[in-house]
Amino acid sequence: MSAIEVSHLTKEYHLGSIQGLKQTLLNTGARLMGKQVPERPLFKALDDVSFSIDQGEVVGIIGHNGAGKSTLLKMLAKISTPTKGTIKVKGRIAPLIEVGAGFVPDFTGRENVYLNGSILGMSKKEIDKKFDEIVDFAEMAEFIDTPVKRYSSGMQVKLAFAVATSIESEILIVDEVLAVGDLAFQQKCIERMECLIKLEGRTVIIVGHNIRQLQRICSRVILLDHGQVSRDGSPGEVCGVFYREAQERNIARHADTNLEGEVTPQQGSGMIRVKKIELLNDEGKPLDGTGLHEPLTVRVTFDCEKPLDRPEIVVGLHTSDFVHVLSVSNTLSDIRPNFEPGTHQVTCRLSDIPLRPFSYSLRLAFLDQYRQMLWYAENIRPVLITPGRFDITKMPEAGLVDVPTTWLFSGTEDIS
Amino acid sequence: MLTLVKNLIDYRELMVTLAWKNIALRYKQAYLGIAWAIIKPVTLMLIFTLVKSFVGIESGDIPYPILVFAALMPWTFFQESASEGVNSVVGNTALIKKIYFPREILPITSVITKLVELGINFLILAGLMLWYEMLPSIYMLWVPLIILYTVLAALTVSFVGAAINVYFRDVGAALPVLLSLLMYASPVIYPLQLVKDKLIVQQAVGEWSNTLYTLYTLNPLAGIIDAFQSVVLRSAPPDLNAMIPGAIMIVILLPLSYLYFKHAESYFADVI
Repeated sequence: MSAIEVSHLTKEYHLGSIQGLKQTLLNTGARLMGKQVPERPLFKALDDVSFSIDQGEVVGIIGHNGAGKSTLLKMLAKISTPTKGTIKVKGRIAPLIEVGAGFVPDFTGRENVYLNGSILGMSKKEIDKKFDEIVDFAEMAEFIDTPVKRYSSGMQVKLAFAVATSIESEILIVDEVLAVGDLAFQQKCIERMECLIKLEGRTVIIVGHNIRQLQRICSRVILLDHGQVSRDGSPGEVCGVFYREAQERNIARHADTNLEGEVTPQQGSGMIRVKKIELLNDEGKPLDGTGLHEPLTVRVTFDCEKPLDRPEIVVGLHTSDFVHVLSVSNTLSDIRPNFEPGTHQVTCRLSDIPLRPFSYSLRLAFLDQYRQMLWYAENIRPVLITPGRFDITKMPEAGLVDVPTTWLFSGTEDIS
Repeated sequence: MLTLVKNLIDYRELMVTLAWKNIALRYKQAYLGIAWAIIKPVTLMLIFTLVKSFVGIESGDIPYPILVFAALMPWTFFQESASEGVNSVVGNTALIKKIYFPREILPITSVITKLVELGINFLILAGLMLWYEMLPSIYMLWVPLIILYTVLAALTVSFVGAAINVYFRDVGAALPVLLSLLMYASPVIYPLQLVKDKLIVQQAVGEWSNTLYTLYTLNPLAGIIDAFQSVVLRSAPPDLNAMIPGAIMIVILLPLSYLYFKHAESYFADVI
């Protein structure tokens, strides 16, 4: 049974600012006189979007900025009206479009809980019943009678999240609210969301940019692109497509810029100038990346002005959200030559890349023998790790690194 | 209209909470608190009484201060609920953009908020009546009906004004001017009897007199203020003749105003 049914949903906006009273009157006058009035151009925020969501499904909606995610949520929450198409919703909707909308700074926490609760559609009795739970969850018992304007922003968000998630509704619409508060509270929020989803079997629609989180929570992901549904399927598959597209754009962006020529460091002492960074295969041909468990060679050409004694050179890969998944250094191998002033080349061969297929970015650092930073840059260029000789569909969905493994089964009759 | 009633019932708790928010918010950090609600009509009453001592306005056998206070009560209520109502949608942008609820809740809540302040003014009225040794009469029973009528008049302005204000903020800016004009076109400073004498009895502008009087009473406030004074102070029933033209206008305009509001409502979040 479908809880939400969206068919041929289209939303158009006029570009440009809204016209003032004078212009509107003039235009109306001109139209009455039978003259042509220049129409403001239309922008399709959503273009013929159709999908249906079954009861109990947890659907993530992803897409780059401006793909129409928030517009879609606004339609679902009835805040905005579609230009064309229909939305059928079964059951009560709780929109957590933005936690804390309608918090009044002058009110105490307690007053705001009641106010926000009733704005979100809870009755006073319901709030009474849940009040202690809300305050407990937000860890705000001490401050509940203090005006919200004296709260820190983290405290406000915590309280708002606690109120918003205590609504009993069949359908929850969530927009980027999971990343609130400090790490410990974030963990709590995610647990709460998962509890709502898994135990109470609610239908949930989540919009977000934290793809990793969505991939974890959702049972299905819809990818929006320029107002249209471009993918709709299992989280692993759709998120993969999304990452790949982001990566392709990234590569396209880098293609004409800094692959050749000098690399600008984010931090540099001026002693070293990096002329060129190349990714090569074993035959010395340039690459965009390599396959899982295959080698990759990074060749750096640099200039130094003064003699460079026993420098430490770090080559690393990080994800798009700057998780440094791999770092290697010449110090570990204890190969630390001295460099005279002039142009030098250093080649680092990573003989077996253990990273799961994905797009990563390159980082590079030069440190002197006392570990003072001489040159540092990250996000230098994308490095694409492909499945190579492995079958991607046989890989587990989660995990960042892959190490060679040996499996041993006992008690099974048929070991070939 | 049916959906309006249903929404009112479904969302009554939200309206109560929002009204409580409006009131609590206004007086939260004010030392005088809710007393501010009575300061405006009382001040105006004092000013008008002072002015009256220069220009001389015929107030009949009723002391002028209490007569003008009884006019100022429904007037202030109307004026403030209309201007709050018109600004209620634009003033709650954060809510409009984030959460769905029937938007008519906002203007209606503004009017409800003002009802509370009107209630407080009744205490002052009672005090004045004690001072002038006036007794309430059975005709006081009309008061709730007169207030209801004032509420409807304020809503007629609020719905259409609030909706247009989303598109053109001109409305919000023009409204105070229009309302202060309307005050002089309503029997606030002078009693309605004065207009009636001039036009009906003396036929001051010749054959146009009766038409002009009807035009004057098209302003619902003319009937409202006079009726309020009659039932409270004069121990007399309201003058229905003065109320009918205004009432007919409200009966026609209120549904139109509401329909326009509902029509514009679906684009509030996009435009605001």
